[in-house]
Amino acid sequence: MKKIVGIADMEVCNDWKTGLITYSLGSCIGVAIYDPVAQVGGLLHYMLPESQIDPQKAQKNPFMFADTGIPLLFKEAYRFGAAKNRIIVKVAGGSQILDDTGFFNIGKRNYMALRKILWKNNILIKAEDIGGQVSRTVRLDLATGKVWLKYSGEVEKEL
Amino acid sequence: MSFVETIIETCSQLPPFPAVINRALNLMNDPNSSVQEIVETIQYDQAITANVLRVCNSAYFGLRQSVGSLQEAVIFLGFSQLIEILLSGVSGSMMGKAVSGYDLEAGELWKHSVSSALLSQIISRRIKREQNPMLFTAALIHDIGKVLLNAYVKEQSETIKDLVKTKGVSFLQAEKDVLGIDHAELSAHIIEQWNFPQKIIQAIRYHHTPLLATSDQEAVYQIYLSDLIAILTGIGGGVDGLSYSGFEQVMHHYKLNEKDIERFMAQLGDQIQKVEAMIQVQ
Repeated sequence: MKKIVGIADMEVCNDWKTGLITYSLGSCIGVAIYDPVAQVGGLLHYMLPESQIDPQKAQKNPFMFADTGIPLLFKEAYRFGAAKNRIIVKVAGGSQILDDTGFFNIGKRNYMALRKILWKNNILIKAEDIGGQVSRTVRLDLATGKVWLKYSGEVEKEL
Repeated sequence: MSFVETIIETCSQLPPFPAVINRALNLMNDPNSSVQEIVETIQYDQAITANVLRVCNSAYFGLRQSVGSLQEAVIFLGFSQLIEILLSGVSGSMMGKAVSGYDLEAGELWKHSVSSALLSQIISRRIKREQNPMLFTAALIHDIGKVLLNAYVKEQSETIKDLVKTKGVSFLQAEKDVLGIDHAELSAHIIEQWNFPQKIIQAIRYHHTPLLATSDQEAVYQIYLSDLIAILTGIGGGVDGLSYSGFEQVMHHYKLNEKDIERFMAQLGDQIQKVEAMIQVQ
């Protein structure tokens, strides 16, 4: 079965027959986490770095922001039996437009926010594919824990 | 006939813009017209009416009782919301199919169009400009050229992608270099054929190159930003991805900063369900 994770959305699951997939990551970032022992996986597709820009929206949908979405992704995985020291983290997205002078560099800010949160919590990123101008699709296969990455117009490859 | 002329010639294959929608848009711009007049114009088109009612009755709008006529829809949803649904349906009939040259599945270009249109309203509220059904329409159809350029982009896909990758040019520039015309220019040709106001034609022609516009800068800049923020958000992102240029001059013009961009994205994020409700692929 395939569960689709929308924009500003998250799914956590422990059914090995399931695949989690999120489409068209532009400047947004997809965070895939997996505990191979508990066979628990989660996928978050967040849009923006910090919830302080609009606390009301963060309350309504915490998955819109890195600082509210990432902690919830881990918490939910723990609830399903995942353990922090076993969790493998892979991330992709954070694209940029051309001639960016700073106004539009959401992708970069999204990535900085992610790094900051993980670093504070002593969590390492196992693999990443960040930046550029591409539109990405990310898929987490719960049976194997493998994360598959697809650039629009190209073939899927393992991250 | 040159290659570019052959491409432009394909514009005539497109069906005309629905006449009833054109009449409704004209009525909307006429301060003396009434809601009743506009509803009467539309209601005789059964396909359009059926589509509008289907969207009105979808779960997102959460109406207590289902509506069976445009009159009822106006009462429950308000006039401006009814028009949004109406126009989105029209863009869907023209842009709802897969556009494989750009690696867009069925509904993706439509979703991008509806998102840009909602962003045009979000932005005009922030910069305190009048909310204009014409701008909403422009944002909805700005990428119509992709539908026709599709076959040619598909044919030359490797050359175009290679140019973007190795030379770092925008996807728009690569289209122009390889095919002799880009999707924004082709969109403008299509819309000219539909006899749209000059303002709309300009906004669509320059939606990736706003600084080149010599007139109607307000419309051009607003459509540029609406499209750009939809692209940043990734909605309907295809093979062209984010390979378009950022122009800070447009931001300075409206005294906007990077936090405004984030707020626009958050507001769009809040309306994703509305977007989904409005694009019901049949």
